[in-house]
Amino acid sequence: MMKRLLIANRGEIAVRIARACREAGVESVAVYSEADRGAPHARAADRAVAIGPASAAASYLSIPAILGAARESGADAVHPGYGFLSENAAFAEACAGAGLAFVGPPAAVIERMGSKIAAREAMQAAGVPVVPGVTPRDQHDAGVAAAAASLGYPVIVKASAGGGGKGMRVARDAEDIGELAAAARREAEAAFGDGTLYVERLLERPRHVEIQVMADRHGRVVHLFERDCSVQRRHQKIIEESPSPALSPALRDRMGAAAVAAARAVGYENAGTVEFLVEGEGDEARFYFLEMNTRLQVEHPVTEAVTGVDLVRAQLAVAAGEPLPWRQEDLAPRGHAIECRLYAEDPAAGFLPQAGTLLVYREPVGPGVRVDSGVERGSAISVHYDPLIAKLIVHAESRPAAIARAEAALRAFPVLGVRTNGPYLIRLLQHAEFRRGGIHTGFIGEHGADLAGCPAAADRDAALAAVAVFEPEAVSAAGPAALAARSPWTDLRGWRITS
Amino acid sequence: MENHVVKRVIARIDDETFEVDVFDGTVSVAGAAAPFAWDRPEADAVGIISDGRRRTVFVAADRDRRWAFVDGAVFEVDVAPAGARRRLGSRHHHESLSAPMPATVVKVAVAPGVAVARDDIVLILEAMKMELPIRAPRAGVVEAIHCREGDLVQPGVPLLDLDEPDAE
Repeated sequence: MMKRLLIANRGEIAVRIARACREAGVESVAVYSEADRGAPHARAADRAVAIGPASAAASYLSIPAILGAARESGADAVHPGYGFLSENAAFAEACAGAGLAFVGPPAAVIERMGSKIAAREAMQAAGVPVVPGVTPRDQHDAGVAAAAASLGYPVIVKASAGGGGKGMRVARDAEDIGELAAAARREAEAAFGDGTLYVERLLERPRHVEIQVMADRHGRVVHLFERDCSVQRRHQKIIEESPSPALSPALRDRMGAAAVAAARAVGYENAGTVEFLVEGEGDEARFYFLEMNTRLQVEHPVTEAVTGVDLVRAQLAVAAGEPLPWRQEDLAPRGHAIECRLYAEDPAAGFLPQAGTLLVYREPVGPGVRVDSGVERGSAISVHYDPLIAKLIVHAESRPAAIARAEAALRAFPVLGVRTNGPYLIRLLQHAEFRRGGIHTGFIGEHGADLAGCPAAADRDAALAAVAVFEPEAVSAAGPAALAARSPWTDLRGWRITS
Repeated sequence: MENHVVKRVIARIDDETFEVDVFDGTVSVAGAAAPFAWDRPEADAVGIISDGRRRTVFVAADRDRRWAFVDGAVFEVDVAPAGARRRLGSRHHHESLSAPMPATVVKVAVAPGVAVARDDIVLILEAMKMELPIRAPRAGVVEAIHCREGDLVQPGVPLLDLDEPDAE
């Protein structure tokens, strides 16, 4: 087992990894930027090293800074967390070069799965279904139309050379395919200098269902079932759950087997996730490979809840060369788990990220209630990093029980000082279509209007009453000075933004 | 029970104003059916009891604004006395500039009293790794600046007030 592990990350995942290290008897080293000086994650580890100014590029994304911190602290291993450098093959390579055990797959595997084309080819070779698509040899409108017809409508015409929504057109039938292809080509040419088109089947109301896999260095690969992450906005996940309401036991087995085959085919090691799009429900559903994430994911606690395992702990063991602690037959899902991501965002203002200080922050507790966070009362939420405040994960006997538990927990989770999506999450959980299990990746887009909040008069009156009681003296008589004297701003640790 | 008003608070949520009277043990919100009983279990929390049923409301103060969390719902309540220090919105010849998103003030390019032409850069903000120059929407004179370099500012909060130029 490694002696001293450097956590190349921040916030909630850094706290999570430090916890696993404690259980494993491994010393942990945290790194922090100037904006994170004194942050909970920096205090959660045995040691902490400063790595640079607030900007991520100069700190958490800086390979030299991270490697320097590893050297300085005498670390012999590195866990990259998620985001930042976790899927950076050059970083994995650099760690290996510096004699640091990297908690993740080999650099070559990260590289290969990072290329959409290479990943697709690897999957096809392994017999894993991919979204039907073709690059027509005849790139004229007629050739594109023929390709679309052979795939079956509806299709999406995409720019081979790029992404970000540019050079993409949806064609529902053969009527407009010619025009749409021409438009896509022009846009692609303008945006990427390459008008080559690729045609893919458009999946209707797909669900995003991913399979957790774990592989050790001794040839064992297992899957730990699925997570349904269909409730997302602009590809940012908001709610994840397991099991997926759309999967029958037979489909679960087939997808699990496909994910394991995919991992084996690329020589995978450690924790990873194979993402699929699922069309339809039950035994008749069709699933297609989307991409593979070669790291631990944000929503890993959902899998931990339904399987009862500690994935991060297992990651450390695998990285240390130990065999996986479980065989496939040892793993069985139980009950239902839901994760809600609490973000510092204002749903009423286009989900604009918010910044400020957590004046009140109290996590809910209870059976089947887990909160992973890297903040506390007084923490500054800044614009430098992603606006995730906390993850609430609940586990209960059934999906309805889990939904009720999640809603009750959110109602007992006061966060004040920044606008959050907390009330929005409650409305999501209450939505009839969500409760029915009718979720797909277009859910938020489709039901956006239903999810706008309307405060209840009774709640508003209670709020007004409480605010009045809270005031130290009659505000109409007192001036601003009296308010300032009572303001929590003077009690809180100050923070500075350095550019 | 003596009907002695301990304090009267004028509170605003969005555009609506409410009068709230706090008594010794009860509180009455204008327009609500009946007064509530209240207690103070801790510094951050106020117990509001209505029809025998208790709700714990968490409250936090942030300059003129009060945040309240009631059973999952969040309210932002302003308690500044009406009329005083209201920089937001239509005072006759003034205009306030604010940030469109949470941002850091990187540069304050002017000072009170300085005359600016339309499109002159008055502030530079930084957010999401991009620089955002804030320009004068018309010619005028800088009346007041409500931020400093290094400040982290919220959208909608006035950063700079622009007055009409003297000779126009």
